[in-house]
Amino acid sequence: MKLGDHLPEQAFSEACGVSRTPIRSAFKILKLNEILEWRQEEGYFLSMSTADQATKALQEVQEAEDSLAHRILSDRAERRLDEVQSVSALSRRYSASRNAVLIALKILSQDGIVTQLPGRAWAFQPMIDSPKSIDESFDFRLTMEPQAIVAPGFSLDIKRAGLLRSQIDDFLHAEEIRATVGGFRRIDNDFHSLIAQCSGNRFVRGSLVAHHRLRKASRMGNSMPSFRLRQAMVEHLEILDSLERNQFDLAADQMIVHLRRSRIRRPEAANRGIPPLQRGPRT
Amino acid sequence: MNQSPTIALFPEAGFGAGLNCVGIAQELRRQGANPVFICHPGFTGVFAEYGFKEYHLPQTIKNSAESVEDYWQSFISTHRPHFNLNSIEQLPTYVAPTWEAIVDTAIAVEDDLAVLLDRIKPDAILLDNVIMFPAIAKAGCPWVRIVSCAETELPDPGVPPYLSGIPVENERDCAAFRKEYEKCTRASHDRYNKFRKSRRMPDLPPGIFIEPSPTLNLLLAPSAIRYDRKVPLPEKQFVFLEGCVRREPAFELPAFPVTDGPLIYTSFGSLGAIDTDLIRRMIDVFATIPARFVVNVGGFEESYDHIPDNVFLGNWFPQPSVVAVSALFIHHGGNNSFCEALFHGVPSLVMPYCWDGHDNAQRAEATGAGRRVDRAIWTAQTLRSEIMSLLEDHETQERLRGISRQMQTKSGTKKAAETILDAVSGTR
Repeated sequence: MKLGDHLPEQAFSEACGVSRTPIRSAFKILKLNEILEWRQEEGYFLSMSTADQATKALQEVQEAEDSLAHRILSDRAERRLDEVQSVSALSRRYSASRNAVLIALKILSQDGIVTQLPGRAWAFQPMIDSPKSIDESFDFRLTMEPQAIVAPGFSLDIKRAGLLRSQIDDFLHAEEIRATVGGFRRIDNDFHSLIAQCSGNRFVRGSLVAHHRLRKASRMGNSMPSFRLRQAMVEHLEILDSLERNQFDLAADQMIVHLRRSRIRRPEAANRGIPPLQRGPRT
Repeated sequence: MNQSPTIALFPEAGFGAGLNCVGIAQELRRQGANPVFICHPGFTGVFAEYGFKEYHLPQTIKNSAESVEDYWQSFISTHRPHFNLNSIEQLPTYVAPTWEAIVDTAIAVEDDLAVLLDRIKPDAILLDNVIMFPAIAKAGCPWVRIVSCAETELPDPGVPPYLSGIPVENERDCAAFRKEYEKCTRASHDRYNKFRKSRRMPDLPPGIFIEPSPTLNLLLAPSAIRYDRKVPLPEKQFVFLEGCVRREPAFELPAFPVTDGPLIYTSFGSLGAIDTDLIRRMIDVFATIPARFVVNVGGFEESYDHIPDNVFLGNWFPQPSVVAVSALFIHHGGNNSFCEALFHGVPSLVMPYCWDGHDNAQRAEATGAGRRVDRAIWTAQTLRSEIMSLLEDHETQERLRGISRQMQTKSGTKKAAETILDAVSGTR
């Protein structure tokens, strides 16, 4: 795209597989950051002339989005914050007003990541951040994700599935050095969230959507070799293939295989002469 | 020989040997071979994640999850204090019982290993272990020994005794250590020789649990840290590699609340991670240093809280990729860790706790590749001072960059794969 190009809301809405409302909201943020300009009766136009300008502006947007809620969540996931926090302690740590901290906590509480305790304290809910919790997460998903597919009324969102396919293709065709674990996790979470959202069972849908939000928020520490990253991406494509052919039983079985492969974990500890320890010690 | 020879890699049940073999297997695959792994129970999937076929030694009652947990619990409470002893004090307390356990495992897997090898019918076997398995010698194909511990594993008058961490010039201490080593390992060694005899294998000399392969032996030690051997190893049979560093996905630097300062990576391997008290004390020191620290705490993340803003914990990192972007590597002297630091031109601060960690710590100091810290006596002040001095030592950094350039032009994994395939095809 070049300076002055028109950005039709409808085209972006179709490309992203979402309604025009979030596109309009995104355009408003880009306008506030002077990346787009808005003309009465005409819509939005690109107001950046060079790639460098656009990159810098996007970085600024990214920083703006790197909100207090995100910082609090990251610090909790990285064990910098205790389980129970007060608004004043957070206010001091982040040099933010009490009001800003309260807004951040409310944002996090909407995702079930914190809850307000009686009084003024807030408590973080368990995250998926230890070998045991990762194991429990896989147990939960092995039960629920195939169920999300085989429950009556599953309806694949073809547009979003198409978008996901192209992201997966890009990942699979990227140079090994560019196919990172972080990039994998973003696509992986989008894939599993899509499956959850397309389920015909509202309770399965609700539980899984919330769980995937928690997965996204949690810092899942395990790095994986490139081979497994690519293999898992191919498994995603195979599940999408089956869903598009309405072979739901097959897709559910493929999901089980995919999750079982993904949950294989390295031993916790190993040493000469001792059988490797699969799970962390009891103390 | 088969167009695509099947090479069975059999690493011991540890990450050092296992991941070292992954590096060689990646290159063997690239050069057209068919590398497969023989896995100990507990390592299921570790090699499959790198795309290699696995064959598994069976799970025994002794290896059930419950008994393994009991074993480790007892191991941790028994041996954690021993890691603070010096290398000669560790001989009766840690090294002797470890050799007993190693001999136990070698005897226990022998029959199953023979069955697996008969099923795989490999064109060659790569053994990365500290003990020999008669089934390998009798498999009817060439076997290659990978010496993935320090070079000290192959004795020579010009090389200090294995596991001693004593400079070779200190002849009196070396002699005392050799004597004590033979004494402490005698019982397990006698038992092992009896086992070998029962399998029609010749006795090994005192203190030696594995013989050189008649075909090919690969040593990881890069030229920068090699010893001047009094009896040179025959070049046809013994090949030195410039390390053997595997490929991992690029490391994405985590977002620290503190955004500046050099990156320092700390990892004591999966065994070292059990000493959470020590790592916690180190993290308190890290908080006072103007640098960012990535710390591998293994499966013990739940033991930590109040992590400082310049520290990031994880249970597993793509280590070679992290070391590549680090200014300093604090490690236990594991041979892979030491070689990776040299490969990427990164100074080592070695805090050994057992086995050849002592040897590599001594060698790092002797060759100017890093410094050694005694895990039993360091203080916040001495640790801080060691870290700062290595970060500011531009002369060492420049020298290490030269070593790195040399190692990177002679890929250890590539040379290993080429040499193995030549040996298998009989052209070597």
